[in-house]
Amino acid sequence: MTKNQAPSGLVHQYAPRRPKGRLAFHVFAGSVALVFLLPFVWMIYVSLQTPGVTLPRGFEGFSLPNAWHNYARIFEMLPLGRYLFNSFLVTGLAVPLTLITASWAGFALTQLSARWRRRLILVSVGALLAPLTALWLTHLVLFTWLGLINTYGALLAPALMGSNPLFVLLFYWAFRRIPVEIFESARLDGAGVWLTWRLIALPLVRPALLAIGVLTFLSYWSDFIHPLLYLKSQALYTLPLGLRQLQQLDQTQWPLLMAGAVVMTLPPVLLFLIVQHYFLQARWFSAIEH
Amino acid sequence: MKSSRPLLIKLIVIQILLGGCQAAPTTQQPPPETVAPATPTSNVSFMIFGDPAELQAYQNLVKAYDAKFPGEKIELIHIPDQADYRQRLAADFAAGTPADVVLINYRRFSVLAEKGALEPLGPYLEKSPLIHAADFYPEAILAFQWGRRGLMCIPQNISSLVVYYNKDLFQAAGLAYPSADWTWDDFLATAQALTLDQDGDGHTDQHGLGVEPTLQRVAPFIWQNGGDVVRIERSVWTRELALDDPLALEAIRWFVALQLTHHVVPNAVDEEAENSESRFLNGRVAMYLNSRRGVPTYRTITAFDWDVAPLPRKRWRRSGVLHADGYCLPAVSAHKAAAWQFIEFANSVEGQTLVARSGRTVPSLKVVAESPAFLDPAAKPLNSRVFLDTLPHLRMLPRVTNWPDIEEIANDEIERAFYGQADVVEAIHAAVVRTEEYFP
Amino acid sequence: MAAPQRARPWLLLTHRQALGLMLLPYLLGLVGLIIIPALLALGLAFTQYDGLSLPRWTGWRNFTLLFADLRFWAALKNSLFFAGVAVPLRGLGALALALLLNPPRQGAGFYRAAIYLPTVIPDVAYALIWLWVFNPVYGPLNLLLINLGLPAPVWLVDPDLAKPALSLMSLFQIGEGFVIVLAGLQTIPREVLESAALDGSNRWQVVWHVILPLLTPWLALLTVRDLIMSLQNTFTPALIMTGGGPYYATLFLNHLAYEEAFDGFRFGQGAAILLLIVVISAALLGGLWVLIQRWGDQSDD
Repeated sequence: MTKNQAPSGLVHQYAPRRPKGRLAFHVFAGSVALVFLLPFVWMIYVSLQTPGVTLPRGFEGFSLPNAWHNYARIFEMLPLGRYLFNSFLVTGLAVPLTLITASWAGFALTQLSARWRRRLILVSVGALLAPLTALWLTHLVLFTWLGLINTYGALLAPALMGSNPLFVLLFYWAFRRIPVEIFESARLDGAGVWLTWRLIALPLVRPALLAIGVLTFLSYWSDFIHPLLYLKSQALYTLPLGLRQLQQLDQTQWPLLMAGAVVMTLPPVLLFLIVQHYFLQARWFSAIEH
Repeated sequence: MKSSRPLLIKLIVIQILLGGCQAAPTTQQPPPETVAPATPTSNVSFMIFGDPAELQAYQNLVKAYDAKFPGEKIELIHIPDQADYRQRLAADFAAGTPADVVLINYRRFSVLAEKGALEPLGPYLEKSPLIHAADFYPEAILAFQWGRRGLMCIPQNISSLVVYYNKDLFQAAGLAYPSADWTWDDFLATAQALTLDQDGDGHTDQHGLGVEPTLQRVAPFIWQNGGDVVRIERSVWTRELALDDPLALEAIRWFVALQLTHHVVPNAVDEEAENSESRFLNGRVAMYLNSRRGVPTYRTITAFDWDVAPLPRKRWRRSGVLHADGYCLPAVSAHKAAAWQFIEFANSVEGQTLVARSGRTVPSLKVVAESPAFLDPAAKPLNSRVFLDTLPHLRMLPRVTNWPDIEEIANDEIERAFYGQADVVEAIHAAVVRTEEYFP
Repeated sequence: MAAPQRARPWLLLTHRQALGLMLLPYLLGLVGLIIIPALLALGLAFTQYDGLSLPRWTGWRNFTLLFADLRFWAALKNSLFFAGVAVPLRGLGALALALLLNPPRQGAGFYRAAIYLPTVIPDVAYALIWLWVFNPVYGPLNLLLINLGLPAPVWLVDPDLAKPALSLMSLFQIGEGFVIVLAGLQTIPREVLESAALDGSNRWQVVWHVILPLLTPWLALLTVRDLIMSLQNTFTPALIMTGGGPYYATLFLNHLAYEEAFDGFRFGQGAAILLLIVVISAALLGGLWVLIQRWGDQSDD
């Protein structure tokens, strides 16, 4: 972890300096983390069992599982490599698109007059209430009419609108924290909304940007319903559909399913590890003061 | 014990989850007067359900068809889970894009038939040079007739409920295999003799019987006892379940007692820990009630020898319950002629023989059912004749429009009673009351 | 305020027009992809629609049928239980863990990733893992309890235990809320957070009186989202693990809606349940909003 310089001169690491406090932290946080890790550890354990044998009952036989070939197997059984690529493609396009359109909307919300702002927020929160199951049939008809079925256009269409009113609202609140004076001075300098958004507002909400990026990534990465509804050719399938196919094997083949699940779990986790590192790189808020 | 099969690689690579050759608008298309000849590149989509073993059978069928009619490609759409399949079916019909050929169970096709969503296949059958109505078992044909519309789908199979039993366990207990004539009492005694606590820890290690507590499983016992599932007055089904009539109730009590009183069936906790079918596959349950569907999976058992026996009888009655699936053609299909050609092939002697070899079906064509494809003396179950012997005694479950809902509610109540979570009379009464509104 | 003219074309738009343009994609999507489809679909709630023929207007009939069905009441109770129990617990968990793990220290990164991990596991795998965990005879949870001499409850078989079991499962998947609160904590001045980290009774005061109010919008958003998701989304685990049983103890409203629509070819009925879900969500959110207003906070809205 890089240590960031503190402009105010305070020591950056504001953890209690007593070693006992530090140990307590690690013990506590460590145990919590361990508990949270258990499902994943179990997943890996099962994924390394030999398929075709009844799953181990109880704690008997804690022999080290070593069926690494399961991972190779699932890539043979299904075009999983293709699915992986497709998932990355769709998610890789969806995340930037979402960040742009959602931050546009969130930023614009802060600049609106109070009356319009209130209305739009209310509508957005109301839109959050709309159940997905109620929407899909109309979407199916709409996308069929637009000729987007069996293309990624149908999957990416929501990204063009910020994907989810939640993200817009999150951006709104992040932008709200920025003191109004900054925008006003920018305006006096002659910057229009676009410049303000791009050069001033965005950099100041990096944590929100990263957070929403992570949430969006996961949302598209694990999306099962929309590919199921809109994609008909196997060459376009994404990872969740591949996993679904693995799920349909019978119980003794669960190690393969778990192997697929591990493959599907890793990219978002790695992304999160990278991103959270940047979360706390610098204290953005205090940077504003200069 | 299952052995991993390289076949699975092929199976899954070919299967597709969703299908439909085209995204049709939601309005129904009028059936064309003259059907355009199927172009060599047209795809007829064929949607099925089943585990990988069943899928294999349909794969072979499609391959044979493609070989016989080069240029006609069948797009096989496999939805492994039956519940998923039904939901996919409903979604496809609602969106106007069902597959061209769909496999539907006779208990579930009523709503589609009622609303005219299916193309009646009776006229096609009459004109067919390859197959004729007389070639099929009449019970199978009857299952897919719908009032004035006549025959709606072509039946593929005509299975019934039988008792799969583990021969090794019988031998170990010194019991004779079930006779073709055995009674309810014999059945219970056998199950009791096969329910053992082998290590003396107070916990049953081996159960004599495994069975799903559903209406479909209980029905034959109700009929054998002289009761009815739905009250019939003057040959017409009335508007409610007859499960609370004395004879039906008596049969249900007997069925429930298998678990509740005699404990020959795993209780709720044991069933949750490991379900009965898995126990049977692993030699921890001696007898298991199922239809022909289980055969492809059971054929992979290597640890013990097994066979089938008919259901036990009560006095002279031997009723069995019909299980049948049919090939249906949605009315909105744009490839009716090509689809019919496939359906015809699938239900010809050649087609049904292919599927029968997988063990999955009891063929609806008499010729195929009596042939070695089904009665192969070298293929398990050796006693396959049992399926044919029960044919005269088969009865259908009512085919009213909302039958799946009625069945599901009845199943929930029967399950409750079976595991002792509710009193039998109370549960059955609840079933009758709750299902009243679903009858037309 | 007139901006001085520049050569760039888009500055010829007025400020308001530029803002409008910025909002346009979102507004288009909001109306076209959410509002109109939702209205159409929810309108189905007053019809009988089997997907095979045109919808038929039936007024309130779907609702009267629904209220007479015991499964509906079971599902309603279950959904409300989940919303009332799981959602606050999850929110608290996310908040507590974010407060704990926000400060940059060695290893915090891995701890954070560990918290986030269960959320990322695909639904299907997650449900199967817990199905095994809750296995009454062979699952590790009960084996552990037995070894500790404690009673081993029959989790998914006992109707009273099934819901708590599913709630327990959901408590591990707080990654999303965790991320949101972390992002919220980032917007709080460091000095404030530091004073909270110091020892002494001052710490909790700072947390309660300063940090929490500043976090309110984020917490509110998180709760709203979680509430809505829990009413609309919880049925994959239930579907895979219990099928809605035992005897409807884990049947949730959205599961029922799905079954009515697809198993029963009764899309109108399904839409009616969805409409009720929306109404209930709105009611709960309204209540929440009142609570927040009462509690009072510094960042106004």
